Amino acid sequence: MTSDAPEDEPEHIVLHARDVEFDWTRMDLHWIPGDPFATHTINVLHLLLPEGERWFVKVFKEALPYIRDERLREDVLGFIGQEAMHAEAHAGVLDHMDAHGLDPSPYVSQIAWMFRRLLGDRGLTGAKAESWLMTRLALVSGIEHMTAVLGQWVLDAEALDRAGADPVMLDLLRWHGAEEVEHRAVAFDLFMHVDGDYRRRALAMVVSTGALFALWVRGVRFLMAADPVTKGRLKPRWRDILRTGRQGTTPNLWRLARSVPEYFKPRFHPSQVGSTAKAVAYLAVSPAARAAEH
Amino acid sequence: MKHSSRRYADPPFPRDLAGRDRPDPFFRGLERLLNGLQPVMARLGGAKYPDGGASGAGRELPMRVAAVDRPAEDVAALRLEPEDGSPVRPWQPGWHLDLVLSSGAVRQYSLCGDPADRAGYRIAVRRIPGGSGSGEVHALEPGARVAVRGPRNAFPFARADRYVFIAGGIGITPILPMAKAAARRGAPFRLVYTGRSRAALPFLDELPSSPSGTVEVRSDDADGVPGGAELLGAPEAGTAVYCCGPPPMIDAVRSALPDHPSLPFFWERFSPPPVRGGVPFEVELARSGRVLTVPADRSALDAVRDAVPDVAYSCRQGFCGTCRVPLLSGTDDTVALCVSRTDGGRLVVDL
Repeated sequence: MTSDAPEDEPEHIVLHARDVEFDWTRMDLHWIPGDPFATHTINVLHLLLPEGERWFVKVFKEALPYIRDERLREDVLGFIGQEAMHAEAHAGVLDHMDAHGLDPSPYVSQIAWMFRRLLGDRGLTGAKAESWLMTRLALVSGIEHMTAVLGQWVLDAEALDRAGADPVMLDLLRWHGAEEVEHRAVAFDLFMHVDGDYRRRALAMVVSTGALFALWVRGVRFLMAADPVTKGRLKPRWRDILRTGRQGTTPNLWRLARSVPEYFKPRFHPSQVGSTAKAVAYLAVSPAARAAEH
Repeated sequence: MKHSSRRYADPPFPRDLAGRDRPDPFFRGLERLLNGLQPVMARLGGAKYPDGGASGAGRELPMRVAAVDRPAEDVAALRLEPEDGSPVRPWQPGWHLDLVLSSGAVRQYSLCGDPADRAGYRIAVRRIPGGSGSGEVHALEPGARVAVRGPRNAFPFARADRYVFIAGGIGITPILPMAKAAARRGAPFRLVYTGRSRAALPFLDELPSSPSGTVEVRSDDADGVPGGAELLGAPEAGTAVYCCGPPPMIDAVRSALPDHPSLPFFWERFSPPPVRGGVPFEVELARSGRVLTVPADRSALDAVRDAVPDVAYSCRQGFCGTCRVPLLSGTDDTVALCVSRTDGGRLVVDL
């Protein structure tokens, strides 16, 4: 943590899960009106995150016995609760897709295999289990850099408001994005605490961003093909992501790509990117987060 | 929920997404990649940085009570300085300390001094009738030793165009450094400070006076008990509302918040609400056979944490599911340790 941050950039936030609920009954399948491509590009999150964040929770629970610092332990416990809530909130959107005729399970079950089998605990013991845990913590740390970048993007993405995106979906994305920004240092700090090997962290980043990118492309293709309204007539093209990235209704591909090298700096720390002030300010107005505080 | 975790509990190897009857080549490739990566990763390990990633703020720091002041009825203000004379860890308005008392009790108190003063911290504590922690703090004399953890930030003070600060009684403690910071910056603010009587309000002589802000001090005995709308006033868009005080006051302000404009609302939150109306019961840890007694005012999680330090939990209010463990007695499959109790019977859990 930096101690010379400006006075209005809050630090050392005590992380806590928020008991949010979202009502999807009034939302359209294409919740960015008239733009199935942008809708589904963001919808890939709902396919990846429930299983992905359940996996984060499992991996972090395995890491608890390695933590020798009370404050980091509290951060990790706060992180676990937030991730658990994210997973279930996104899973609720899967039911909404299904109810509108888009069955997400072929894709989600692939993701489930990846997180539960390929990236599961593999029944290892001893030194092998420990080293596999360190690998997975390094992967989580890399993914969390990207989720923090995406979180900051959605907090700043006024183009989504202008495009008339569904307000409940925007609240889910921004509540989630704000908590990602709020806890963006935890996975990195945990990896540095239990392992800290630069080569492991860098190698894991290459794998996790590469896999994330490929899964995203596959997810958009899957959703566009399975969409019951466009019935697969609209094929996603590369120029679509350039268009929506320019408009601001999806992340700008080039800006995303530029955020990857930051992570490879030897002195990188997540507090160097993103704005906690913006995150806590959103959490203080988020309808879901506010309804959760009673 | 149809697409719940349970639905994907036992996933098969991915089939081709396009519907061809074959394993998905992408996941075959990913599996090979990870299986090839792991031996490389295993060889790289070993460069351990035992102190990396941890800020050290979780460590207990021994401190000395340097001075005790009585700024109002039933309020003790303590100045704490590190035993070894080193500078204190930096903090921002809104942060609090965990004070570890000699009885072992841990209490959280907002820092109410000057963040620029690195020689010590100031906290102020109201004596709560029957409160064990506040009674112990009030008994501390200059020279007494305490330990602190933190400071930490559960009340983030974020930038805003203008501020409304609402403090009830001892709730002034986190608000005072915030209002002073706003005044120093020249940010427009309105500070409302309210309590039973003026004699019960500490730090009246320290409230900021600034051309950019207004300060209203009111007391129930002279002005009546204020409603939420009265406290809130009519803040314009871009105003951040900070509120600290008794829970009914916070609720009153929260329900007075307008829908438009939607104003950021910050309030102090410490621990989860205390257990009320519980009865003692037992938890059996099936793997070790240990039986723990859970007192009426503690949760099963508190008792289990003493026995199993690495047990995972998070929200401590029963909603996040982190502390759910398989239940071997009774009818439910799992139980959330943080909120589940019995009427005196025993919970047998798979721990």
